[in-house]
Amino acid sequence: MRVGLFVTCLVDMMRPSIGFAALRLLKAAGCEVVVPSDQTCCGQPGYNSGDQDAAKALALKLLKEFDGCEYVVLPSGSCAGMIRVHYPALFKDDPALSESFQRLAGRTYELTDFLVNVAKLKAVPGDYSGSLTYHDSCSGLRELGVQAQPRALLAKMPGVQITEMREATTCCGFGGTFSVKFGEISTRMADNKCEHIAATGAGAIVAGDLGCLLNIEGRLRRRGDLNTRVLHIAEVLAGEGECK
Amino acid sequence: MQVTAMHFKRKAGANLRNEKLQKALEKLQSKFVDGRAVVIAELSDFEGLRDAAAAIRDRVLNNLDGYLQHFEQEATARGAVVHWAETADDVNRIVAEIAAQHGVQRIVKSKSMVTEECGLNDFLESRGLTVLETDLGEYILQLAKEPPSHIVAPVVHKSKEDIADLFEQKHHRPRTTQITELCREAREVLRPGFLAADMGISGGNFIIAETGSVLIVTNEGNGRLSTTLPRVHVAITGIEKVVPTLEDVTTLLRLLPRSATGQSITNYVSVLTGTKGKEDADGPEHFHIVLLDNGRSRLLGTELQPMLRCIRCGACMNHCPVYQNIGGHAYGWVYPGPMGSVLTPAFVGLENALDLPNASTFCGACAVVCPVKIPLPDLLRQLRHEQVKRHLRPWQERAALRLWSWLAQRPAWYALGTRLVVRLLCLFAGSGKRLRHLPGVSGWTNGRDMPAPTGRTFRELYRSGRT
Amino acid sequence: MGARERILIRIAAARGTTESADIGDAIRRHSRGPMPRIEKDLVPRFRDRVIKLACDVAAVRAVNEAPPVAARYLSEHHLPPRAVCWPELNALDWRSAGIDTQARAARGDDMVGITGAFAGIAETGTLMLLSGPQTPATVSLLPETHIVVLEAGRIVATMEDAWDRLRSEHGKLPRAVNFVSGPSRTADIEQTVTLGAHGPYRVLIILVGVQAKSL
Repeated sequence: MRVGLFVTCLVDMMRPSIGFAALRLLKAAGCEVVVPSDQTCCGQPGYNSGDQDAAKALALKLLKEFDGCEYVVLPSGSCAGMIRVHYPALFKDDPALSESFQRLAGRTYELTDFLVNVAKLKAVPGDYSGSLTYHDSCSGLRELGVQAQPRALLAKMPGVQITEMREATTCCGFGGTFSVKFGEISTRMADNKCEHIAATGAGAIVAGDLGCLLNIEGRLRRRGDLNTRVLHIAEVLAGEGECK
Repeated sequence: MQVTAMHFKRKAGANLRNEKLQKALEKLQSKFVDGRAVVIAELSDFEGLRDAAAAIRDRVLNNLDGYLQHFEQEATARGAVVHWAETADDVNRIVAEIAAQHGVQRIVKSKSMVTEECGLNDFLESRGLTVLETDLGEYILQLAKEPPSHIVAPVVHKSKEDIADLFEQKHHRPRTTQITELCREAREVLRPGFLAADMGISGGNFIIAETGSVLIVTNEGNGRLSTTLPRVHVAITGIEKVVPTLEDVTTLLRLLPRSATGQSITNYVSVLTGTKGKEDADGPEHFHIVLLDNGRSRLLGTELQPMLRCIRCGACMNHCPVYQNIGGHAYGWVYPGPMGSVLTPAFVGLENALDLPNASTFCGACAVVCPVKIPLPDLLRQLRHEQVKRHLRPWQERAALRLWSWLAQRPAWYALGTRLVVRLLCLFAGSGKRLRHLPGVSGWTNGRDMPAPTGRTFRELYRSGRT
Repeated sequence: MGARERILIRIAAARGTTESADIGDAIRRHSRGPMPRIEKDLVPRFRDRVIKLACDVAAVRAVNEAPPVAARYLSEHHLPPRAVCWPELNALDWRSAGIDTQARAARGDDMVGITGAFAGIAETGTLMLLSGPQTPATVSLLPETHIVVLEAGRIVATMEDAWDRLRSEHGKLPRAVNFVSGPSRTADIEQTVTLGAHGPYRVLIILVGVQAKSL
């Protein structure tokens, strides 16, 4: 399988280790992985702010860049959702492009969804050991149906002990520019999430979207919690995490 | 009702710090969220029911004039008088004229959000009429002179102590905080009002084209009392509330109480058709039905049309994490939460409610629970798009997004820009690996640290051969 | 041109075509939406649901056994044996049971109201009452105690079935169809459900044509 990896702008800038973890996982699944070098941003920030033109330009760019790949995989539910759900919607009035984007959508996957349902990864290379709790990022969950997949992969790791938190599916308050524009509300939502995490007593909080993780980590640290580890599911599965 | 949606951010902030409100909002969870989940689980095909309900509403919206005319025909044949109101002012004028026509002095009201839109109570009172709200929550608000903060549970923001204080002040009876006693007290105080009223005003949860009927749902019985005892009944509702048949309304009734209050059915469902017959022993002699437009017809044929499917259940706000944290008053008009964030700009003008469509993370919890499958996040995004098209966004925001988009389309410039930014961020963070302040994004850093990046981008590392 | 015309024209313009579908035909078809599967044994389901709604239930084999059951209920609740009654039901022998009934619409000071019901709906434990000269609407509404005499044979599975029955037995709707599901209640104060708001505090349903069972 020839898989194109789109790491996302947040991963590119803020935590490249997630990109490398995704790479390792896809290779472990037996995929031939390419990383188109001109990739930048899927266009979601502009799209969600109401700038459809900017989003369309970036969509066309991405379409071209990943043309030769059988699959497009992303370590992010929200960016994968952008491609699968919103790119086709953006071009629904253009028959030719609409078809192209439908086809792109059909071969685009969030990472854990791809590993479980397409690549059918048998064993997970990581050796993380310890308790963790999982936050279901909104787009992944509600646009793409990602919920069982990360848990199924974590279940393959004998050292991992998952403690589910209350309100795991409640939004953490990131929401892209919302986190800055409505900072007070966003901070309260993040704080609620931190309360639920703390109540589990887990040593780490894991999720599939870096936006959520930055938001949660930012609030954890400001609350004085310097111990709870904040990890992307790819890092846990691929072996970034250390033993506890 | 007066629009204060332009003060959303300030009010939201104040509400976040209001501990009493925060405690009251916690109660939404058990009844409206958990309670709803239990009765939804009773349905073997909830999704099929949603599809059917959305189809019924769309069928009507695509032929709204035909269904309204059929309704008018049937209602008139049964002795009702149907009035058409383009604006809120028209409604107020029509109701005042009906009151004058029938020599009405005392009015009882059962809950109607449409009458809140119109500010009907204040208007009628300015004309010297007495208006008594009879829904317990609305009565409490009338005493407190406050607007509702939720479309189904109007006083969710008040504690029983608040209500005890209010009743003690207004009823001049010994103070009690026992909820059963407070309810009993309200019943005793309001009962004479029902019996003495000349006119009852209600809303209409649905109006049925097949039979020319108005359907109202209540739990308290005040809806039945207001529409049975007085000699004049005026029902006011939006033009979009028409439903084709009794079977269609039955389908919608399987969803409305479940979505709204976690009940399989509300205590009372009343289907009211025409006036008291010559041999009837009770019922109103005169039945007036006022159909309000107030901006609804302008949404037809636009991207916002699905919003008109709304059956006013309140599930969206109950499940909205933003609403759950800030309550309803911050939204500044009649309709709060996700549905309010679409309707308020649509009805009172985009420029008067700029924050509302933006105060959402698009988490999608609302869209999952909407019984008529309104794609709320998409509609909110559409409103954001309208704001951009009409140049209503602050220039700094436009500039920042333009810059980002410009860079993202030019990989070489993007690489330069991002490499610079991550190095700077890493530098400012220092050994602590966290940033406490960041220029331009104090909305983040006021309440959260920003975890620092490692200082190199993925693309440059990958390019240099790192795996 | 008045408001009505302007509104209708605006709506038609939004539709993009002056063609409007045959509304009458669609309506006459009375198509039903998806319905839950209701067990064949309607009476137990109905009884189970009304109890969950905080109704009291009694069962009698014949309708003449209803007045003594009602009398016993009133005495158990320390209520005076006086009631306003649907004219339709006043032929039953209330007097021998010790209940003083008056066949009329209810007034503000009536404590007990006795009605029948057009149908019971098993799906939700709901009573369907039709207003009329012999069945005034206020009798089930104003008094604090509502006693209902319901023939078990008039329990149907769903509201759709109830509408069909109404159409076949009456043709058109009465002034008021009232669906009643339990005593009145409110949860406006701190989302705490309290029974007895503006309508009745308690509802007794006497099921007729059922083996009397203890509850």
